[in-house]
Formats: sequence, C-alpha cells, structure tokens
Amino acid sequence: MFAAPWVCRSCARSLRRVGISRSIRRASTETPVNLPPALLDRARRLAAEHQQLSAALAKDFDAKTAKRAGEISRVADALRQFEKAREALRELHGLLESNDAELRELAQDDLEATNAQLADSSRELSIALTPKHPFADMPCLLEIRPGPGGTEGRFFADSLFHMYRAYCSNKGYRTRVVKYEASDSDGQTGSEGEIALQEAVLEIQEPGAYGLFRGEAGMHRVQRVPATEKSGRTHTSAVAVWVLPSFPENSTSESEADWDNPESDFYINPAEVRSETMRARGAGGQHVNKTESAVRLTHIPTGTTVSMQDSRSQQRNREEAWRLLRSRIAQQRREAREEQARQLRSSVLANSQITRGDKIRTYQYQQDRCTDHRSGLDAHNLPDVLRGGETLGKIMESVQTWLINKDIQALIADEEAAAAARKEGK
Amino acid sequence: MPRLPPALFWRARREVSPLAAQLLPACRDLQSAANELRWIREHVRATPSPVPEGLRVWQLVERRGRGIPLQYVLGTQPFGDLEIKCRPGVLIPRHETEAYTLYLASLLAKEQPAAGSSSSSSSSTLSILDLCTGTGCIPLLLLQALLRRPPSPRPSHITVHGIDISPRAIRLARANLAHNTALRLLPPPSPPSASASPSPSYSATFTRASIFSPTLLPTLQSLSPGGWDVLTANPPYISPEGFARSTARAVRNHEPRLALVPPPAEPPPLLRQEDTFYARLLHMAQHLRPKRVVLEVGGWAQAVRVVRMALRGYAGGGGGEIARLYPTVEIWRDEPAGVAGDGTGDREGGGEVVEVAGREVRVRGVGDGRVVYLCR
Repeated sequence: MFAAPWVCRSCARSLRRVGISRSIRRASTETPVNLPPALLDRARRLAAEHQQLSAALAKDFDAKTAKRAGEISRVADALRQFEKAREALRELHGLLESNDAELRELAQDDLEATNAQLADSSRELSIALTPKHPFADMPCLLEIRPGPGGTEGRFFADSLFHMYRAYCSNKGYRTRVVKYEASDSDGQTGSEGEIALQEAVLEIQEPGAYGLFRGEAGMHRVQRVPATEKSGRTHTSAVAVWVLPSFPENSTSESEADWDNPESDFYINPAEVRSETMRARGAGGQHVNKTESAVRLTHIPTGTTVSMQDSRSQQRNREEAWRLLRSRIAQQRREAREEQARQLRSSVLANSQITRGDKIRTYQYQQDRCTDHRSGLDAHNLPDVLRGGETLGKIMESVQTWLINKDIQALIADEEAAAAARKEGK
Repeated sequence: MPRLPPALFWRARREVSPLAAQLLPACRDLQSAANELRWIREHVRATPSPVPEGLRVWQLVERRGRGIPLQYVLGTQPFGDLEIKCRPGVLIPRHETEAYTLYLASLLAKEQPAAGSSSSSSSSTLSILDLCTGTGCIPLLLLQALLRRPPSPRPSHITVHGIDISPRAIRLARANLAHNTALRLLPPPSPPSASASPSPSYSATFTRASIFSPTLLPTLQSLSPGGWDVLTANPPYISPEGFARSTARAVRNHEPRLALVPPPAEPPPLLRQEDTFYARLLHMAQHLRPKRVVLEVGGWAQAVRVVRMALRGYAGGGGGEIARLYPTVEIWRDEPAGVAGDGTGDREGGGEVVEVAGREVRVRGVGDGRVVYLCR
C-alpha cells in the first residue's frame, strides 16, 4: 500500500538534517547595485582630490597631506575598479549587438561574470565612501549592566561577560577586567554557576576593537527558565551592553586620542570634575586607618558619575575612574553629534534607527536560538554563542554588514540632500 | 561605638556571605565588608601556599574580624604605585599621607627653584630627609615619583634618608626598599655616575636615631654637605586625651602608641604635649635650612598652632627666624590637589587664605588641615 516503509517523524527529521547546514538563515541584505549619481559625484570629486594630493606629494612630502591621501586612496582605487567594470560591460553590450554569432555567444558567457564584478565594485566603492567611524581604530570598553529586575538578569549579565571574554580569548584579543562588581553571593548561583553581577567593565585592548564591537551596544534580551524558578515558567530579562571607546594608555598624539587637546572628545576640564573619596567625616590621618579606597568622580556639566572601588589602592581607583569617565564623556559627545546629523537628514532613516533603549538581540534558551533583530540573523547553536565561539563571530559579522549598509544609506541621503542644495544654490 | 543592628548581620549573611558577616564588627558596613572579603580572597589567590585556600581565607577573615587592621592581616598596603609592607609595631601608611606625598612630588617635578640659591650643588643632586619615617613610605614614594618624572633641570643623583627611633620601623623601611626593588617598582640603587643615564641614580638609607638626640643635627649636616632640599615628617601628633577618645578602635588597640602620641615633655610643659615634636622639627629646620619643609599635622587647629609656632617662635626658641627664612607658608588640606564641588577649592589664581600671626597663609585643597608647608 505504502510506497515507502514507515519512518517515525523524529527519525525522518534527523535523516533530513544530514548534510544540510540549517544552523544559519541569512536575512536579505540588499546591496545597491546601481550607485546613485550623488554618490558617484562624490567619489569622482574625491578621486580628483587624490590625484592632486599625490601630485603634491611627489614634489615634497608632508605628513598631513600623506595622511589625507592615504585615507581617500581607497576611494580612488575602488572608483578605478568600478569604472573598469563599467567599461567592460559597455564593451560587452557592444559585442552583443555585433553580427558574429560566435562573438555574441562569448559575450553572453562573460556578461554574468562582469555583472557580478560590477556589483562587487560598486559595493566596494560605497563602503570606501562611507566615512570611517572616528573611534573605529581605538580599543574599547565593554560595559555590562543588568536591566531592572531580579537576580535572573544579573546572572545573565555574568553569562554575557564570560561570553565576550571567551570570544576575545578565542580571537586572541588582549583583555583586562577593569571592573567586576558582584553581589558576591556564596550560596546562590545561576543555572551555570554564574554569580549575580552588578556591573562589569571589560577592556579590549586590541586597536580597532571599537569598530568590531560597536554593533554590540544595546539591550540584550534573554528568555529562559531561571534556576530559581520552581514552576518552570520562562522569564524574560534584559541586560544593557554599552561600548565605549577606550583611551589607549601609551598613545601617540593622534588628534582623536589626545586627551590634553581641548578639541578632542576625550578632553575633560579637571575643574569640571568633582572628586570624592567616599570617606566618613571626622578625624582622619593617624586617628583612623580606613581601608576604604573608593573614588567617585562627577562630571558636573553632564552629571555623569563614575565610582570605582575594585582596587585597594586609591591611586589605581582614581586612574581607572578617570579613564572610564573620559570614555563615557567621549561617547556621549559623539552620540550627541550623530543625533544632530540624523536630524539634518530628517525622516529618511527614521524607521531603521535603533537607539540604545531598543532590544537588539534575543537569547532564547528553550529554542536554542540567538536572534539579532537588526540583521535578522537566527543562529541555532546557543551554547556555542555563549562560549564565544564561531557562531557569535557570525552574528557579529552580520551586524557589521548591517551597520555598513545603514551607513551607506545615510551617506546617500546626505549626498542627495547636498546635491539638491547645490542645485538650488545655482 | 554604636551597636550594629542584627538585621545587618542577616543581610550580610544572606546577600554576601557568612564570612562577610564575620567581618562586619570590624568593617561596620556591608559594602566595605564585601570589599574586604574580596581583597582577602584575591590576596589568598595571589599568594601560593600548600594550605588550602578556603582555610586560609577563613583564618584571615577571623583575624580581621577580631579587629586587627586589614593591612596587618594581609601584610601590605598600596601606597601610590608602591606596595608597602606593614607589620605590627609600625604605623600603617594613610591615604592622606599618600595624597600629599604625591602632591609634593608633582610640585618637585614641576618647579625646580631657579639657579642662584645659596647651595650651588643642588642643581645636580636632590636630597630628601624624612624624619619619623615608619615604613619609609614617604621617601620611597617621592623617590619612585621623581625617578619616573624627573624634575627639570634633571638631578643626576637623588638621595633619600629616613630616620626613626624604632628599630622595627628601620628594619621594615629597609625591607620595603628591597621589596619594591624586587617588584621592579623601583630600579636598584646605584652610586652617582657621571654618564648620562635615562633616569637619575639614587641612594636610599635608613638609620635609627632619636630626633631629640643632640648629636643628630651635626650628623645630618655632615651627611649632606650641600644642605637638604626637602624635609618631610609625619611625627606623632595625637594628644593622650585624643588617643583615648577620638582614635578608631583598630588604631588604639593594634597600632604602636609610640608612632601616635608624643611622650610627655620632661621640663614643665610650655606647649601642648601633642605639639612637642613640632618644636623640635622647626628647630631642626632652622639649622638645616631645607628648601621645603612638609610637616603632617592632625587637623585644622593643630595646623594653625604649628604655623603660629613657626612664625612667632615657640617656647624655648625660634622667634621669627623661620618667618624670615621661609617666605612661603601654606596649609594643605587632606587632598591638596582636590577641588570642592562648589568651586571653593584651590585652582590657579585665587583661593582660600587665612591670617595667622599677622601673616596671610594660603590654604590648598579640600578636607581637614593636614600639612604645614614651608618653602623658601
């Protein structure tokens, strides 16, 4: 009666899975194949500037000019590639109209490859055109804080902390724990031996870490059955991750990373910072011997406070607090500026904008799934993600791609607005 | 000391750990109990031993819980970038001392007095004398800070010399020099060399002596023929009544009285017992004529008294000699470099000034009066 022998459903499913990689589903990430004319204009202008600069450099060397030339050389290269691909395509189209049947066939074969090349180079060009994030070359500080709610969020904050640390050690990035403050509970731990974290700051000392990790900032949501839950209900809690640029300790005096320079985002006027050592009033000096070494810094204009009490040395605490304060202020200034730029280009990207308060990723334990809400990527190997394995790397990569696409869109919007303004001016 | 509510012990046991509850009687609040427990654990983890870690943590917590200062329990106290060893019988370095020592180091690094002062050799050497040195923390931290950021013009050689009456203190100060050299926080001492090395050479010595001994002054003069550049001292400055009433219990029960309370003066006292050391120190300053004198004091009232002694003279001597010698007289507060929230603290320009003995005395920083500073 049956064409095939009966197989139970779970067996059938396991058979079907063999050899099929289903762990990752990619959401569509559209690439603009046809570059908008505004962007192309900008690329041409930059390429012309590059030519000028290289001519000037050939005559006499100047560090500043060389730096600028290096920055835009990528655009010039990408534009050259793009033009070449377009030229090839035009030639092919010419061949297609020829009378020779053999030639037409050959051209037809080449057409697809050339089209792909053109798409690649146009994408390369638009990436080269997007301005690099000014902090992208810096090391970063990863701040992890549980959202409001019970201990479950704190346990998960600890899991995230270990996830990022493991990821960094897998990738070979040097890290340092700046702050790891827990409600040091001996008895109570999470389902995987996590401790209840209050706040942790992890410094990733790799140059360029900010660029790699800036997509991680936002609310991370977890859905699982906590260890403390008796009746097996799934809880949802959230953990906030902030990514701050870190001021490298032994820096060369780059304009962005020089905190003595009042132009820099990292500059803080010491007169605007109130420093408190949280010591009780009353006699000091020889009268008491306090072990308390906590330091609290308040940046008065913005009301940002940083407190540090990890080390027994007050000196060390103060240095760490200053570093953290600088990073936070720099990030705030940067965000304020980005907000301004966003308002200028008004509604174009308003819906795709994800701010700090929105959830960016969900870790679903029951379904063994980790979803990034921006790139739309579903990864189905949660343990590997939490071990900081390759799956996490894939998720982070997808977010990078998403960020780049977003930047390109913003750039196009900006350029079109600028072009319109120019036209009006004429 | 107010009684701690039992609920606090419950909270410590439930939210932190039973060990934290054991630390509470000494620490008095939950946050510092949690911190100290963490530091004890870190210390145990950092020092290998055949004894199991849990047992060692328990032993240390038990000792700390009995009220022994954490610095004696762990054996060290961070002081600036240095790690200072602490042993019973020698005063533990305080945060306030750290703050003004670092401030003094930044002053020394910033402004070296112009050439043309009385001693011509001072431009190539810098000599620091610390009296009542205890663990040796002040001269060692000054040394470390100055070796890292040498003042300009750069001295070719830095001499530091510490004096204390207690043989234990001298042993500990020498051990601290060796300890910090072994940790590479200080380079090894070196004799003055003619060759231009990246950092100046230095020598550090500690000797036992009573500062009241009549032979000390000639000895010190012969030790540094060019004169001393800096004189620092953290002498005992607590009155017997203050020792009984205002000191913390850990200080009273476990730290040496010798380092805290001056002995009663032998002739009928013309000045308060807690000020006896300052009379002698000012007398020594008058004869040694160091460029800068830094004396730690125990609060605002004592700071004003010491300034008055320096300017007006004191029982048995002085009388304006110091006032003529040192045009700059300042009082530093707990954090000399600090700024108050309302901006009343010191910055360049204005700032707080008090009038003592008919002279305007500059006050720096925030907190209680901590240091009397003389400079010429």
